[in-house]
Amino acid sequence: MLSLLLILPVIGALVIGFFPGNIQAKQLRQITELFAVLTLVWSLLILFKFDINNSQLQFQEYLPWIPQLGLNYSLGVDGLSLPLVILNSLLTGVAIYSIGPNIDRSRLYYALILLINAGISGALLSQNLLLFIIFYELELIPFYLMIAIWGGEKRGYASMKFLLYTAFSGLLVLAAFLGISLLGGSYSFDYNPQVTQTFTDSAQTILLILILLGFGIKIPLVPLHTWLPDAYTEASPAVAILLGGILAKLGAYGIIRFGLQLFPQTWAQFAPVLAIIGTVTVLYGALSAIAQKDIKRMVAYSSIGHMGYILVAAAAGTELSVLGAVAQMVSHGLILALLFHLVGIVERKAGTRDLNVLNGLMNPIRGLPLTSALLITGGMASAGIPGLVGFAAEFIVFQGSFTTFPIPTLLCILASGLTAVYFVILLNRTCFGKLDNQRAYYPKVLASEMLPALVLTAIIFFLGVQPNYLVQWTQTTTNEMIAQIPHSSPAVEQLAQGAVTLPQP
Amino acid sequence: MTTLTKNTILPPSTHAFADVIHRLEAGGSMLPDTPENLMQIIGIYKAYAVPMDFYWRDLLYIAERVFLNPLRFFKYFLPQEYLDFPNHYAGETADLRIWRGEASAHPELLEFIEKGNTTKMPKLFHHLWHDRINMEFAEACMQAMLWHGRDMGMGKFDAYLDTEEYKANADKAIRAYFKGNPPMLALYKLFPDLFLEQVKELSYYSNLGLFWEVMAPVFFEMSDIYDEGGFKGVPDAMNFLVNGIFAIAGRPIYHHVYIGDECFEIIPKSKGFTWLYEAALPYVEAVFYRTAPFRGTKSYNAQAKQVPEEQKDFHYGILYADVFPVGTAGIPPTLLMDDMLHFLPPYLIEYYQKHCRGEDDMLVQLGITFQRSMYNVTSAVIQALRTALLYPLDDPNPRHLAKNRQFFEAQMDRFLRPEARLKDIQTDRYR
Repeated sequence: MLSLLLILPVIGALVIGFFPGNIQAKQLRQITELFAVLTLVWSLLILFKFDINNSQLQFQEYLPWIPQLGLNYSLGVDGLSLPLVILNSLLTGVAIYSIGPNIDRSRLYYALILLINAGISGALLSQNLLLFIIFYELELIPFYLMIAIWGGEKRGYASMKFLLYTAFSGLLVLAAFLGISLLGGSYSFDYNPQVTQTFTDSAQTILLILILLGFGIKIPLVPLHTWLPDAYTEASPAVAILLGGILAKLGAYGIIRFGLQLFPQTWAQFAPVLAIIGTVTVLYGALSAIAQKDIKRMVAYSSIGHMGYILVAAAAGTELSVLGAVAQMVSHGLILALLFHLVGIVERKAGTRDLNVLNGLMNPIRGLPLTSALLITGGMASAGIPGLVGFAAEFIVFQGSFTTFPIPTLLCILASGLTAVYFVILLNRTCFGKLDNQRAYYPKVLASEMLPALVLTAIIFFLGVQPNYLVQWTQTTTNEMIAQIPHSSPAVEQLAQGAVTLPQP
Repeated sequence: MTTLTKNTILPPSTHAFADVIHRLEAGGSMLPDTPENLMQIIGIYKAYAVPMDFYWRDLLYIAERVFLNPLRFFKYFLPQEYLDFPNHYAGETADLRIWRGEASAHPELLEFIEKGNTTKMPKLFHHLWHDRINMEFAEACMQAMLWHGRDMGMGKFDAYLDTEEYKANADKAIRAYFKGNPPMLALYKLFPDLFLEQVKELSYYSNLGLFWEVMAPVFFEMSDIYDEGGFKGVPDAMNFLVNGIFAIAGRPIYHHVYIGDECFEIIPKSKGFTWLYEAALPYVEAVFYRTAPFRGTKSYNAQAKQVPEEQKDFHYGILYADVFPVGTAGIPPTLLMDDMLHFLPPYLIEYYQKHCRGEDDMLVQLGITFQRSMYNVTSAVIQALRTALLYPLDDPNPRHLAKNRQFFEAQMDRFLRPEARLKDIQTDRYR
């Protein structure tokens, strides 16, 4: 069942990459989309067959592969990974249409998109630490190529920075996993939360720090984030969607899966620090976004901010907050994909991303009216306006983490207000105002370019008014997960009573 | 191509629009003389003339028949009588035959009234579905003339509206109209100015209706001449307008009201108001230059001071308008652009499809064409004024030529404002 999620896109990539004959880029796109849709349909099938009352792994597959290394082909899905698998399939479909039909070296381009999809699904599904690392590292190459070949002006710098940071991230995670395996005394790398419970405190601390640093780069958390603005800004819209929509989620997923679930006791001790880091990330992202003059950079910084909520929620470690973290991952993936897609359209049509140059895109005849309208919807969803998915997710996060970390949560709510500030700045400068008569001869937006945005907007609206469909898959899994965490950690209580003062931003 | 002879007696002008001034001195138009420009402006004259044929009929209908009806629900429903009403400058019965076509309403207009953009259905449904001519635009032009009329100090028409004679005439008509309607008569007794002001507005309805009764056949004829290959360039088209202006200059401007079988002459023809001075020039000033600030472009906030205090500083007419936001909320010319869209000649549609967004932004493209064509009409008015008030272009006397230049420069000074589109229409990048 799950293997097909990996096999389908790989077959697709092979077909596109090696099928003989001269195929037009447009047809290649259709073939790619076909494979993406097949993958999506298959993942939806899994979604419908998924038993939401079962907190254990489902659809497990197990094949011994290289037993000497402890590497087994072990797949499984639970409430934590399932929404992200769906998100991955969906965003792949969106990404294929988020760049114009005419593209250089289209074969390589479309093949890489499908490979990325397979890699991410693999990482999300694998229940073997080594297998996870393989998929995690596999992501690097296609992403590096996609930024380096189809990126913007400074793509060389951006792609190299991305490569170095994430390779380092992979190494840290690998080191942690090797440690787990060695201390566990078994040669199997199979995922097993019981093994780590037996480690000494100091061992757990070191391993957790490694994991936090490794995945913190990917999320990214604030001191480790500097690759992100460059990579997101220089990447083409498709790559930005995949990077922000999915790869960042892989980091958050990793922190919850391998940090929270493997080291619940140590996690509880770390929680206050993590909450502070998360809050700093949130505030830093929002304040930096306000300062930007480039709309793509703004969206990139908004991504940093929104990922910070996830860490705060995960640190709080209540049933509701971890559920909120997963909901926020999905919601942020959808919203960020929508925003990057639309910003990509604006850049392609208007030829600039500069806030000081763009203007009046709401103009119904000469502007990009539908794009602007959806951009406003996306901005509102991102800022947490009720009725859209962003509000549902953020509210669960705030509600869940307030009891544990009141001050960080309040600061996060403040940052949520700042999100509205920079999105209003963005929308005011791009959508409102009047068109410049010298340069406003923009080409029209094709229906095929708008389709992914319309689909995403529909989902954002739907999940906003029916958030049950967002959280019901995850609830039992996260509840089970939280049962492992001791809640009487002194540090947590100290913070809950406000005895720990936070650094002012 | 018409050959334009450049005068060599005067030194070159140092004005910012020196090129345009030299062209005007050589008998040309403010609009550059290119075949593309000629095709565009004639095509848009045609598209403008068909709704205009409706505008003037309906304006006269409102001025003469609807009159003071307090509930004017059906003022845009033109009775057959007014559709058949013979234009005084077309057809067999014409006073002066400008257009060789029929004197009754244009066939394309009749077809649109019948079918609209949808299908054949009762007029009321067409109206409710907004499948109609946007008469509100004509009324907005009338209001611009009414409101700026006080300020412009041109002609005698507006001054006449304040005379006792006019008040007496209006009084008779108001009493006759409300005969047997005591509440309205009581209201008139209480607030005599209430209805008097309405009648003044209706006089402007009549004024504008009579102005457009001339322009519609002129534009139809220009389109026909172009189709026959009669115009060789933009100056030819302008000269046709100049000649038309002089031919019509003396037609009377009046306001007659029909109540029952009786005709009340509120402004009788015998007052001697003429077309050029009482309708054409005020119209150009009020509509082409001034109008009112668009609600969607300027803030009326008195503290922001975006709108000038003096009416003479108003500069929101078509010669200054930003056409790019046409189709947006708060941009009145959209109404006219939408009207013209229904009647574009095929060659113009084909031309628009090849540029910018093709079919999708035709409304803006035709708006810019319309702006070009109105620069040509304004050129014709400027040349006509120069002919009437100053000296011929081939005058050998340098002092006379200097006077002409002074006049042209003064006219061009009005386009020195940054909003003026005179510079834009000089290139075909602006479309």
